[in-house]
Amino acid sequence: MHDLYIFITGPLAWAAFILFIGGSLYRLLAMLILVNRKERFIFSYMSLRYGLRSILHWITPFATVNMRRHPVLTVVTFLFHICLIVTPIFLLSHVILWDESWNLSWWSLPDGLADFMTIIVIAGAIFFLIRRIVSPEVQFVTSASDYIILAIVAAPFVTGFLAYHQWFAYEFFMVLHILTGEMMLVAIPFTRLSHMIYSPFTRAYMGSEFGGVRHAKDW
Amino acid sequence: MNKSVVYMIAFVIIFVFVLVSVHSQEDMERVDNSVFKNPERPSALFRHDEHNENADIENCSECHHLYEDGQMIEDGSSEDQHCSDCHALKASDSIPALRKAFHMNCKGCHLEQKQGPVTCGECHKK
Amino acid sequence: MGEPAEINEIKDKGLEIGAERLTEDKIEKTINSVLKGETGARLKAYVDTCIHCGLCSEACHYYLSRDNDPHFSPVGKVKQTIWEMLKKKGKVSPEFIKKASEIASTECNLCRRCAMYCPFGIDIAYMMLIVRRICHMLGVTPLYIQDTAHSHSVTMNQMWVKGDEWPDTLQWQEEEAQAEIPTLRIPLEKEGADVMYSVIGPEPKFQAQLIYQAAVIMNVAGIDWTMPASSGWDNSDMAMYTGDNEIMGRVKRAHFETAARLKVKKIVMGECGHAFRSVYDVGNRWLGWRIPPVEVVHAIEFYHDILKEGRIKISKKFETPVTLHDPCNIVRGRGLHEMSRYVTREMCEELIEMHPNREHNYCCCAGGGVINCGPPYKNKRIMSNRVKAEQLFAAKAKGAKVLIAPCHNCHSGLEDINHHYGLGLEIKFLMDILYEVMDKPE
Repeated sequence: MHDLYIFITGPLAWAAFILFIGGSLYRLLAMLILVNRKERFIFSYMSLRYGLRSILHWITPFATVNMRRHPVLTVVTFLFHICLIVTPIFLLSHVILWDESWNLSWWSLPDGLADFMTIIVIAGAIFFLIRRIVSPEVQFVTSASDYIILAIVAAPFVTGFLAYHQWFAYEFFMVLHILTGEMMLVAIPFTRLSHMIYSPFTRAYMGSEFGGVRHAKDW
Repeated sequence: MNKSVVYMIAFVIIFVFVLVSVHSQEDMERVDNSVFKNPERPSALFRHDEHNENADIENCSECHHLYEDGQMIEDGSSEDQHCSDCHALKASDSIPALRKAFHMNCKGCHLEQKQGPVTCGECHKK
Repeated sequence: MGEPAEINEIKDKGLEIGAERLTEDKIEKTINSVLKGETGARLKAYVDTCIHCGLCSEACHYYLSRDNDPHFSPVGKVKQTIWEMLKKKGKVSPEFIKKASEIASTECNLCRRCAMYCPFGIDIAYMMLIVRRICHMLGVTPLYIQDTAHSHSVTMNQMWVKGDEWPDTLQWQEEEAQAEIPTLRIPLEKEGADVMYSVIGPEPKFQAQLIYQAAVIMNVAGIDWTMPASSGWDNSDMAMYTGDNEIMGRVKRAHFETAARLKVKKIVMGECGHAFRSVYDVGNRWLGWRIPPVEVVHAIEFYHDILKEGRIKISKKFETPVTLHDPCNIVRGRGLHEMSRYVTREMCEELIEMHPNREHNYCCCAGGGVINCGPPYKNKRIMSNRVKAEQLFAAKAKGAKVLIAPCHNCHSGLEDINHHYGLGLEIKFLMDILYEVMDKPE
């Protein structure tokens, strides 16, 4: 157990964070280099003002027509993504680990709230899964990879939830939690979870084209 | 019947009393966390004597260290004080906060020795 | 799905014969050369970012009109075309290319409504254009639109209008209009005029009265204008929609160079959507201009300006209640929707809005080159825009009797919908009404 713990919270965690941060930077840089090489015109159309205008509309709940058309999905999507990002960063246990390793400490969520937010992420993942299976227009464009990335995202939350409550085999789920968390980090730059990296750029570009060239809204 | 019943009851009462008193005085079950306001987790499981016996710790200052002017005093020990006497809830210049001190003291040693619990739920059992 | 059989059994010689000539090897090489040579970070980011959520579906009039058939959702069309090409690294069959060409050319109007519904702003119209480009390189393009591209290539206009037919038509319309305003001129080749007025090929071919009306408006408004006498007069560009970017660029260059030759201050274009897109947004980029090298003004903006400046007076407002269609290429493409409303309100007593409107208006299903793919696809095109008919019925129920469609393709496409669904609306250009209600010299 100790060797395993030391390995997965030591070298493996280092590897996961290096791949996550390095991979994300690599993907970002590769994109910019490719733009510079083949589609340099994009730079001349990018507009800070219209890019931000578009991003702001699309990160504000119900600020776009399509969000208002799907109120349930909008609520689920926002809660899911907010909880997905906020919970692991501000979870007390995680903050303690940062503190122990790096002497870095920040505000943390009360465990009860973090627990609730974890349930939201899990419920959101189940909602997306059902939507993927039940909605014909989503099913039609679904491939195995869609289920896999959903599972990659849900796994650290499910295992974290079980470990926190110490139901079933605590140590097993604790180890699994650490492993799946690391897996998710690594998956972000190398799967379509990379929408986390790319979406601000695709959004800003479309916003710039709509705002700067087409003088129209894109929401 | 009377006598044997009375003896039996008396025996049980004495046994329970002894058991409870021995336990409460001789060995604790959990770390006293009453200093923490609204602790998020149950206090850590810790049987002092059993732990030291298993870990083969003779020297109290292994855990009950004593620092003066930022220097640890060899053989100086602090078992007559509460941890919280030095370690406040918030960290000060060189003194880690109480929670971190507990974690580093226990988990730090467990990792070094590759013995004993290291993940949250192993100590903070529900 | 209860559709007339003819929708599902479309025979298009352009696709049939084109596909017969293909080999798997040629397909693979061509796809990869286009993907490698002509696409870059945009396509990659779009493909890697799309989370397959299907939220673009309800943006599409095809999807809505075809009973939410997922084959017709924007992302569904991407899946059936470019995803497959990418996944198989170009190893697809001639049959697949035929189908892909049909999807990209006749099941998407490139209206870009879905870009406003995608949370990430993925440009699906762009991906459909890449598919068209690949199919063009493979010689598998619907016959009718390919013919117009050939016409562009040979004559620099869309309709095989011959060199002498063009000035003849202008002269003819000038003479006709002189019966109404004896001093009226259509000034040809006037160097240094303020405005070069350009039209699309079909105007001299079948709608010469629009040139007549434009001449009257220009003359009454006292605009210093001219029209070119030789090629370069046509602002339309179907090559843009067949993926024949080289021809598209040639046609645009001819247009801009004609304006430069005449040393005009700006180009004013007739009521056309795709032509505006080609001159204002697409052709200039191909030629290396961030914005068009000559100021490009769409008819709506022109009418707006001359009405606002009082160059044209309205003698009596148009009484019949009108509803206004927002063409994608000048609304989602240029944000002219408030100007078109200003013009409409200046000219008409009553404007009844259709819903949705402005940027969110439903496409006519004719644009993006779809109507130019010709008769084989007419029924499919009409069936695939039931939602437009419903939208127009609702406007009619509120009292609208005239439908203003300030775009040629919209005009023709809506006419088909009007006829098929029995809407009973009268469809007009803004110019038709302006000509009717303006103050003209006695």
